[in-house]
Amino acid sequence: MKNIIVCMKQVLDPEIPLSLFHIDTEARLAIPPKATPPVLSPFDENALEAALKIKDARESNVTVISLGKKLNRVVVSSALAAGADHLVLLQDEAFGDFNTYLTAGALAAAIKKLGEYDLILCGLQAADTNTGQVGTGIASMLGIPCITEASKVELDDNKVRVEKASADGSEVIEAPAPAVVTTNYEVGVLREPGVEAFMSAAKKPITTWDARELGIETADTDCFSLVRMYEPTQEGKCEILEGAGPEEKAEKLVNRLVEVKVI
Amino acid sequence: MSPVAENYLGITGYLVFWFLFAIALGLFIQRVSLLIRLLKLGRPENRFDRLAYRFINMLALAFTQWRNLKAATLKDPSPIGHAFMFWGLGLFFIAYLVFIGFGSGFGLFTVLSGSAFEIVFFSILDIAAILVIIAMLWVIIKRYVIRPERLKREETTEEKITQAALIAVIIVLMLLHYGMEGFGYAAYGIPGSWPPLGTALADTLVNAGISRDSLVAVYKSLWWFNYILLLGAVIYAPRSKHLHPLFSFSNMAFKNLNPGGALKTIDIQKKEEWGVSRIQDFSWKQLLDGYACTWCGRCHTVCPAQLSGKSLSPRELILGMKEHLLKVGPDLLKAKAAVAAVPVATDEAGAAGSEPAVAPPESPEKAFIGDVISEDAIWACTTCLACQEVCPVNNEQMHNIIDLRRYLQMAAVTETARDTMKNLRVRGNPWRGTMYARTDWAEGLDIKIIGEDSHVDVLYWVGCTEALEDRSLKVAQAVARLMKQAGVNFGILGEEEMCCGDPARRLGAEHLFQMLAMNNIQLFSSYNIKKIVTACPHCFNTLKNEYPRLGGQFEVIHHSQFIADLIRRNLLKINQLEEAVVTYQDPCYLGRYNGIYQPPRQILKSIPGVTLVEMEPNRKDGFCCGGGGGRMWLEEDTGQRISEMRLSQAMDTRVQVMATACPFCLQMFEDAARVKEVDESLKIRDIAELVAEALETPADAGDKA
Repeated sequence: MKNIIVCMKQVLDPEIPLSLFHIDTEARLAIPPKATPPVLSPFDENALEAALKIKDARESNVTVISLGKKLNRVVVSSALAAGADHLVLLQDEAFGDFNTYLTAGALAAAIKKLGEYDLILCGLQAADTNTGQVGTGIASMLGIPCITEASKVELDDNKVRVEKASADGSEVIEAPAPAVVTTNYEVGVLREPGVEAFMSAAKKPITTWDARELGIETADTDCFSLVRMYEPTQEGKCEILEGAGPEEKAEKLVNRLVEVKVI
Repeated sequence: MSPVAENYLGITGYLVFWFLFAIALGLFIQRVSLLIRLLKLGRPENRFDRLAYRFINMLALAFTQWRNLKAATLKDPSPIGHAFMFWGLGLFFIAYLVFIGFGSGFGLFTVLSGSAFEIVFFSILDIAAILVIIAMLWVIIKRYVIRPERLKREETTEEKITQAALIAVIIVLMLLHYGMEGFGYAAYGIPGSWPPLGTALADTLVNAGISRDSLVAVYKSLWWFNYILLLGAVIYAPRSKHLHPLFSFSNMAFKNLNPGGALKTIDIQKKEEWGVSRIQDFSWKQLLDGYACTWCGRCHTVCPAQLSGKSLSPRELILGMKEHLLKVGPDLLKAKAAVAAVPVATDEAGAAGSEPAVAPPESPEKAFIGDVISEDAIWACTTCLACQEVCPVNNEQMHNIIDLRRYLQMAAVTETARDTMKNLRVRGNPWRGTMYARTDWAEGLDIKIIGEDSHVDVLYWVGCTEALEDRSLKVAQAVARLMKQAGVNFGILGEEEMCCGDPARRLGAEHLFQMLAMNNIQLFSSYNIKKIVTACPHCFNTLKNEYPRLGGQFEVIHHSQFIADLIRRNLLKINQLEEAVVTYQDPCYLGRYNGIYQPPRQILKSIPGVTLVEMEPNRKDGFCCGGGGGRMWLEEDTGQRISEMRLSQAMDTRVQVMATACPFCLQMFEDAARVKEVDESLKIRDIAELVAEALETPADAGDKA
């Protein structure tokens, strides 16, 4: 029996239409639109799929850990429906201000508390902040190896074997278990539960820990912080060039494109 | 005089008569009870409500031959033949019961012989027999010479034998009727000139100078031959490949009394209801469909999947179910009996010991999915319901297919439908990647959002497609414009609206459907919604026919009905539309599912300038766009595109506009028109768009003043 831990973040749905996306620049926060629930970060869903593929091949226990100030039960427990065995929710008001460093620390604390693990999987990055720091952070805090951007993950008796794409082909990397592996989309799209998996999810255990239970008494949220968050403005301008015939139009177009330094 | 009243080798004819009868009846009951026990292998399904209605309905359907006769055309008059055969054989059945059963069996022939009743009845039979013989000759020509598409199939030897035997037996029985009349009357006295054919034959025989002894001997031989042939038919019929005559009555009695397209609601807490992968997972009624099927092949020839070259054939599914049941059923019965025979385990060892017998026996030779029907075929169904519309025995092909889909989605959602399903679960709509929010189309139109102001008379249920899919936003805008002009106090749910659940349900993900439906029903209740208008036939069908089963009772109106009503009440000021010849596509979920054919046509006819031309086929026979049953979100990579086939039929009418009343039709045909490069000359429009286009604008009103 292998123990696999997958860290999954609840994020603002990256696919919401533009008209629903707003940022509170004062609070430096994206405002979650009403009636649009968050989702599990798609990158972390890839990580869960990697874990489930290992579980398909050999007996394993997959634990999903999610951290946040307020987690949507329906959203996070969809990991159980997909096939995870146990869900650990790290929920605390204080986590709202956590940066990547503190998040990695809290997750590492939870992993230590769980005790037994052979492999820790994280998405390549979170779909909202896109920093890609938490996976490596956990590895360094636990003092175990870390392989990033895996496209395939295998778990042998005592080693982790990873394939990853490189500029001129692909690499196969091995590390002794336990190790942290961050995955990219190539490990596969997360399976969608059918009624069987969906119904069985309700019976699976969910554990909730707050900061105190994780032994996090004080957190230095100022070690690094977000300074500014804003919606970039994009301006589109359309210019119509007139001309007598195609030749003239083409000439004008070329001149104009040179003028604005596009060509 | 009846031949039973005589002795044969010292044994009374009555004894011979009843002895043979008992054998035949015994063999008949033995086989029929097996067939019924096979049905009982299936899951339970309650079709025992409103029994009196069911019984009367069955009699009415059977004796009027309505479902059969409505298919009669000049090109294919077979239904008329079937009706004559049915009525004719029905009369013969009564005659056999009265004259052979009571007359000979109970010795009542002394009363019946030569009675006015006999003369009248036999005269009628004289005519009926001719009609039956003509009908059977037509069957021979049809099945062996013409062989139309619907009858072409690879029949097994057994099926061929059954078919030939049935035809031969019926014709021989008819001829025997004349033979017995002729020889009987000639031997025992001709009653006059009625029955016409029987007495004419008797006259001929007497004139031919045949001795009375010979006449009597031939008559007796014919009589016994007729009797034995009848008993043979009784024994053979339930063992033959054609169970239709025995089971079509009950199939009509147990027919679905709910709206035909409303799917069965399953209890998702109950594992055993999740889906169908083995023959015994079907309900007994679904299995009965197989017995009732008469291989007429009508479903096969109207199925858009079949016609466009996919592997689905509703006929082969139903016949396959029957064959599979007959093949593996007896073993399943044995296994069931073995399970029942195992005593209830009282200790752990006993429980463990009984396990092998309890395990569901797998089919010995064939798996249902894969061998009887392929996964491709299961996914090819557009749920257009054309098969059920034409089925003369009320079979429910589409429902079987959905149950099979439910199984295929049981463990995990299939890859092809995964994105759609996930989007439904996570975002409540099937349009992954849409750039729109649910209220974007309404921007600037000043439309109430019920969450902000729930004082509305009508909820305009926009539906995912019209709220989120680029082309269809215009339909939502048109509907809103019409309602505004008519002064309807309506509102929308905006971001709170979730998919009605139709795509999830039709693709087999019942849990997702129920999740979405419960969410919407709660929302309607919390806003005290009573009346809902929608422009999507799929939402319409789901809300109207399927939500009630989950506790959601609301008045649901399709926009075609609603707009037709606004026009009737003179609430819309419609101007002349630029002259246009328009054809109308009946959306399956509006027409066949809900019987709404007239309102959209009324709307089109009420627009000055519009000339409505019907395309073939239309109304109940209308051809699907290919987008139903969740097919909107699946690839169509085999055969022809259904949408392009239908578009060609529209192009044959040489119209400028193809109107429809469904967002899926709209999208399917717009795509098809682009592929066929006719998008310039043939516009695809929703009826609401055409009305909105013809609406009097304030500027028009000013001109008039």
